[in-house]
Amino acid sequence: MSKKRLIPKLQLRTSGYNKKRMVLVITKQFGHVIEIGDPVSQAKIFQDQAADELIFINIDKDEKSVEKLASVIHQVSQEIFMPMTVGGGVVTEDHFRTLLSNGADKIAINTQAVKDPSLISKTSKRFGAQCVVVSIDYKQEANGRNLVYLYGGQEKTNIDPVEWAVEAEKLGAGELLLTSIDHDGMRDGLNLDITKQIAQAVSIPVISGGGCGLAKHFIDGFLIGKADAVTSGSFFAHRDQNLMQTRSHIKNAGINIRVHT
Amino acid sequence: MVGILDYGMGNLLSVYSAFDYLATNVMICKYPEDLAGVDRIVIPGVGAFKDCIDKINNTGFREALDIEVLKKGKPTLGICLGMQVMASKGTEGGDHDGLGWFDATVIRIHPTDTDKRVPNIGWNDVTFDSKVPLFKGLPDKVDFYLVHSFYMKTVVASDVVATYDYDFPVTAAVLKNNIFATQFHPEKSQDYGLKILENFIAWKP
Amino acid sequence: MVELRRCKKCLLPETHESIIFDEQGICNICRQNEFKNEKIDWAKRKEDLRELIESHRGKYDYDCIIPFSGGKDSTWTLYYLMKEYKVKPLVVRFDHGFLRPNLHENTTKVLRNLGADFHTFTPSWKVVQKLMLQSFLEKGDFCWHCHTGIFSYPMWVALRYQVPLIFWGEPSAEYTSYYSYDQPEEVDEKRFNRYVNLGITALDMAVRLSGNNVDERDFKPYTYPPLKDLRKLNYRSVCLGTYIPWDVKMQSKVIHDELGWQGDRVENVPAEYNYEKIECHMQGVRDYIKYVKRGYTRPTHLASIDVRHGRMEREEGLDMIAKYEGKKPASLEIFLEMVGLTEAEFFQIAQSHSVSPWRLNLVEQEAGEKMPDFGKWTREGKMKREDAEQQLQNWKKSQ
Repeated sequence: MSKKRLIPKLQLRTSGYNKKRMVLVITKQFGHVIEIGDPVSQAKIFQDQAADELIFINIDKDEKSVEKLASVIHQVSQEIFMPMTVGGGVVTEDHFRTLLSNGADKIAINTQAVKDPSLISKTSKRFGAQCVVVSIDYKQEANGRNLVYLYGGQEKTNIDPVEWAVEAEKLGAGELLLTSIDHDGMRDGLNLDITKQIAQAVSIPVISGGGCGLAKHFIDGFLIGKADAVTSGSFFAHRDQNLMQTRSHIKNAGINIRVHT
Repeated sequence: MVGILDYGMGNLLSVYSAFDYLATNVMICKYPEDLAGVDRIVIPGVGAFKDCIDKINNTGFREALDIEVLKKGKPTLGICLGMQVMASKGTEGGDHDGLGWFDATVIRIHPTDTDKRVPNIGWNDVTFDSKVPLFKGLPDKVDFYLVHSFYMKTVVASDVVATYDYDFPVTAAVLKNNIFATQFHPEKSQDYGLKILENFIAWKP
Repeated sequence: MVELRRCKKCLLPETHESIIFDEQGICNICRQNEFKNEKIDWAKRKEDLRELIESHRGKYDYDCIIPFSGGKDSTWTLYYLMKEYKVKPLVVRFDHGFLRPNLHENTTKVLRNLGADFHTFTPSWKVVQKLMLQSFLEKGDFCWHCHTGIFSYPMWVALRYQVPLIFWGEPSAEYTSYYSYDQPEEVDEKRFNRYVNLGITALDMAVRLSGNNVDERDFKPYTYPPLKDLRKLNYRSVCLGTYIPWDVKMQSKVIHDELGWQGDRVENVPAEYNYEKIECHMQGVRDYIKYVKRGYTRPTHLASIDVRHGRMEREEGLDMIAKYEGKKPASLEIFLEMVGLTEAEFFQIAQSHSVSPWRLNLVEQEAGEKMPDFGKWTREGKMKREDAEQQLQNWKKSQ
């Protein structure tokens, strides 16, 4: 059994105080954005705390978002020596090439994967499935149904996240990144139900995120949700916790996770 | 001066940045003749065996490597696919000849447990020979980051200096004379990965 | 009340940072201590220490820098290096703003008895207040300025005076598992990021405080210097406890006997532990917040050390914990004035950082005793409520 992974999520945005600067933010249900740090500084901290990987998502919604992301990753690559997944506004194969050559190891695609599913198979073939992460944002409706949302939670679709996950694997995705919009930043736990349904429906690794507020939530994500990896942003930014602390809680729960001193 | 081979395959930026971070002179070798001007050589690689060996053979790097690595004995580090092409033969997508620096064949990894995925992507505990100077300063238990479907199966057991368990011992590193190679990515393995690179810089084979 | 799982040997609970229990239910800190006692060649380490000192002696304005608080560990470090190795140190103190009167007396005694140049720095209180409030809100730990200042500031001094060797005191492996005893613990930026700065660098803190009227330059004392500058200096920043086995009881006795160093009573801790954490008058609040978040605090910490060293039986330890833990400190009122919060807000904020599975049962909190020097702890520089408001409101919106 592969070891379970702990992956900090670093969301990027242009600073509200300085248009020339990209900062890290945390969000609440994909709204209410709070600026919490510098990308290179935080990436270094997570590296020194022995994170298994890093995920960078640019949440700016403009044509320059991939360019800005590439620039941040390039800077980060000078001091960060660990696997990195990056995403946010990725639409073309060229975007893949740009980001990979700037130091990224895996690329996350979200909205565009739904709009043009052939992007998954094309990039999987060209760059290898291990490079292609399909990111799925979903929200639970009033009637209890879960639906996929696009454009950072702005556009509702009629797509079921579990069905889409299965489809994405068929098309060549190497990994899935799930984010529960309702739980995002709410610190009330992951959506274990959807996580488990997807984890059991596919054979590629599943990363679950959105909602961690206690170490227990990570443990539940692994034991109940059957996730291969858990990702979080708010938890490490706004709690008296760090990766090594969280990791030891997870290890004490009997889960096979990397331990590093 | 450390020279990193640029034969059109592989993520050079991370490898370059790692050596740069360690405050070592490093350059990208775009042309075979560049190898003559460096003291140590790094062969990175990501992708498929055939593409890799073809590119090395067709760009003039093959001849340059024969001189700089085999004849002049410059300390050389191979990473991931860069390690695999050092074998005599690869079997990915058919049989292909490698550089032949190690008497070995590159075959698909074959875990018996269906829970173990191929490609194997992630951190794995690596067991290593602590007498090897490239492993100096590592704790007894170390994990490194790997991404691969194929591995190097050697004929000479003593060529293998590190393995990890995937239902069977998978070659994680090999060493012969002035050539050291790792299946894992030291430039993606945080502090202990950097330690290996640091040791490579100081290595006197 | 939630029952916490504890180490079968030393009593540290599952909420202690970085603790991992093995198959026997014994914690990694106990195992690290076993390693320290059984597997380390201390004779060789002492020889390494001698070599390290000799390779630096006489070459710079000072043989080494010794970061100093006046507490037991830094006093021992200074004493030991000067007595055993006759180094010429530059003693450097970052003043966190809460030094107690007895501590000042100790510092004078120690420095006059030993004789060393002393460099002390006190950062702007107005900046410290903002940092205290922000880090309490976002990390449940108001000591960010202290953690970062204590570990960064002496490095800047090292650069300014061009003194490469820096000696710290105990290795963290004594108390936590961010590092183990079998690896040398360099006191460097990696360690700073790993746990010292609470996951926030000065640069990150500046982002978090954007719009709060702070000058970028205010963050300099809390910033770790650039690696390339430290490398140019060929810096070596090490723990004395890597080279000699750390023994706080023996060490406190020696500095008391030899230098007249005095212990002090400390809030909500049995009187006989008068060598612990005597340098800060916010210690009581700090310890109490830990109890609110993690369900244990200093009495557990002290009992665990004694139990591990065979100086106390496990049952005795549990009794001591039951008797002393969980009391509200008298100094809480001072803390609230310094950061402009109400007591209700204090609990709300501290509890938001609860570490699972612990959850504090907020019943009537027993009050702890006032310390004899309580009246001398300054009440100057209270934070006006309207100044705390912006930070507090931003935090509330994010929760």
